[in-house]
Amino acid sequence: MLFNSLSFFVFLAIVLVLYYSPIFKWQQKKFMLLMASYLFYAMWNPPLVILLWISTMVDWTAGKKLAVLTDQKKRKLWLLLSLAVNLGFLGFFKYGDFLLENFTNLVNAIGINFEAKPMDIILPMGISFYTFQTMSYTIDMYNRKTERARTFLDFALYVTFFPQLVAGPIVRAKELVTQFYEPKKATMNQFLWGAFLLTIGLFQKVVMADTLLSSSADTVFGAKDILHATDAWMGTLAFSGQIFFDFAGYSTCAIGIALMLGIVLPDNFKYPYAAIGFSDLWKRWHISLSSWLRDYLYIPLGGNRHGIVRLYIALMLTMLLGGLWHGAAWTFVIWGALHGLYLVIERQFRGKVNVKTVGIQGILLALLTYTCVNITWVFFRAREFSTAKNMITSMFFMNDEGTKVLQTFEVIKVGVVITILFICHWIMRNTSMKEVSKKTSPVVLGVFWAILVFLILISQGSGEQFIYFQF
Amino acid sequence: MNLKTSAIIALVLTLIFITSWEFYWRSQGRVPTVDDDKYLFAASRAKVDKLTSDDIIIVGSSRVMFNIQLDEFEKLTGVKPIQLANVGSSPLPVFHDIVNNTDFKGTVIVGVTPGLFFSTTYPKASPIEWPQSRVDYFHKRTLSERFNHWLSIPLQENFVFIATHGEVLDDNVDLKTLLNNVEINNRTGRPRYPEFFEFGSVRRDRNVRMTVETSTDTVAANKIKKAWKFILGGENPPPDKNSTTAFFEQDAKTFKARGGKIIFVRSPSSGFFEQGEAMFLPRERFYDSLLTVVNSPGYHYQDYEQLKTIDCCPEWSHLSAENADTFTKELVKIMLNDNVLPTTKAD
Repeated sequence: MLFNSLSFFVFLAIVLVLYYSPIFKWQQKKFMLLMASYLFYAMWNPPLVILLWISTMVDWTAGKKLAVLTDQKKRKLWLLLSLAVNLGFLGFFKYGDFLLENFTNLVNAIGINFEAKPMDIILPMGISFYTFQTMSYTIDMYNRKTERARTFLDFALYVTFFPQLVAGPIVRAKELVTQFYEPKKATMNQFLWGAFLLTIGLFQKVVMADTLLSSSADTVFGAKDILHATDAWMGTLAFSGQIFFDFAGYSTCAIGIALMLGIVLPDNFKYPYAAIGFSDLWKRWHISLSSWLRDYLYIPLGGNRHGIVRLYIALMLTMLLGGLWHGAAWTFVIWGALHGLYLVIERQFRGKVNVKTVGIQGILLALLTYTCVNITWVFFRAREFSTAKNMITSMFFMNDEGTKVLQTFEVIKVGVVITILFICHWIMRNTSMKEVSKKTSPVVLGVFWAILVFLILISQGSGEQFIYFQF
Repeated sequence: MNLKTSAIIALVLTLIFITSWEFYWRSQGRVPTVDDDKYLFAASRAKVDKLTSDDIIIVGSSRVMFNIQLDEFEKLTGVKPIQLANVGSSPLPVFHDIVNNTDFKGTVIVGVTPGLFFSTTYPKASPIEWPQSRVDYFHKRTLSERFNHWLSIPLQENFVFIATHGEVLDDNVDLKTLLNNVEINNRTGRPRYPEFFEFGSVRRDRNVRMTVETSTDTVAANKIKKAWKFILGGENPPPDKNSTTAFFEQDAKTFKARGGKIIFVRSPSSGFFEQGEAMFLPRERFYDSLLTVVNSPGYHYQDYEQLKTIDCCPEWSHLSAENADTFTKELVKIMLNDNVLPTTKAD
């Protein structure tokens, strides 16, 4: 079920009525939330709920054993079982065809004639998110960094909680499961703030991403010709805005909906396009994934504890796998590799260059970072290397002539939207929406809220899927 | 932070804004209509699985959608056909789907618009790809999408600001179309597509009636004519009679073998279309040949005095709403007289 759909609003209204109904006890409310979460997922493809159940059962059992066992070998085996099941699902459903295709290419390259039909496996929505979330539980249990979930219901709800089930934020057990232990009820202000965040998220998705930016990005990346530099840049900038508004929009909706239930989810985005440097970027973009990769991949790979070479290897491996997490294609690996490379270069300059994060120098450095990020988005968005190559050569003015595919108004529209986006991120760099709202008069906030709702309504969201669902 | 005040202001202002927006578009002559999108097609296609051999399905292009009025048809036969035709489309993909993915063995009325029926079987060509995408969507639609569409229908039927069309049309009132219509200069140098607007009003059962504006206002009709000329004036591939006829024949054999009946209908056209169809898709070589190969009855408007005298067509290709009523009544009477239609009405 999509947040930007009528069916979701009916679903949410029913859930809220039941949740705040005085006739149910907390235990029953949690059960209702769990059932609602399964329904939320099943409305897309009912049989795939079974994967959620298997993942839940395996990790609940593994967590239970990890809590009581003292024999380190046995504990390791339970952890490996959890990882094998979750990564097995991910490997089969997400990377099955990719692995088969690459295997075929490899054996053909060494002269063995082998052909394989693609398996055309359906990708379960949000599988990368919920498998990572549930793995974090067993890994933390293994490392004794978190308590075992008190009841199966609490754990199942942690795995399946509908606001963040299909596109995050990826929440750790200690942040979420503990909130299910005591009855939760949003205060009136929390509830309304949640509704406001839901509005902001929908505005980002429906108006900014789908209405203002998606068609320009689609036109440019769908073009078969070598493009004019302006078009290549504008298409890439449009995509940078589209993917931010799409994904941050989903996270903001998720946080808002959870808050309407009295549950607090962590921030997933903190104005990333005002980042200065790439370490800063990854503290602001998809925070829950970057912290997951840091804690469960980068640090176990050695982090910065074993010298500079191991550090660089750990950084590159983390970012390459982070790229692959986004999709089963080599273009995503290149996207990850570029980010890894940026981080390595940044490390080399650290301590040698005095960087100011304020004033003109700060803005210029943020612009430089944003420009470099845009180079990576080309590989993220392009379906084929040839498209990416053409785009990059056009962006660096290496093509003398190029086809113009965007009309003047589209160029202006993208330019204005992205400029406003960058300015907003810069202004909000060291603050938060809540802080700004506190300083805003209720009347102004009300008018602003009404304008957002009105623009959502007249944009007629045709129920476009969120980009990150496919990851 | 006094969010209660903000929420009340937001609620009141939103109601004021959206009501004003609705009234503005109504004052511009807009009326609510259902979007004939893939969701609506799928909802109609889903009904096929419950049909009996006494039921009727219509496949084809826009002409058979505008010209066969379902209510008139039902009045005379007691059977309301399921409308599965699609604008700008060949009927081949939808008929292929009915034959191969259902057990339906009733009657299929096939609207033959020569330029589309005999266009091609190439999967990537628009007359095939477009209806095929709708068929594909039907087979993979989710429960959520079905529920969502079911909820949206009453809203589409009652609010102009909701009632836009899936295809990007110049007269849609959603923000994206309004912005798309802003043109500063033609930077790309591509020929600008002539202004085009929806000239049919669609119901939830996919019955389409030409709008009063199109049938009475020659300026409006001329805009559509201009668009037809633009579309047909480009480089269009020649018709592929052999492969389209053979494709249909194969499915027709399977369908008839299980007891299904096929009836062809050739709707009237005028002006630019009539001349073009006579010149490039002459009846003898295309329509008559198809009937011979498939060996099924066909009703060509030129063969019946009561059909060929109906005034056709404000924009050369489709009948006005009133004339479509007449056309349906006369056509059904002829068919009933020939005993080719199932009917639940007592004689």
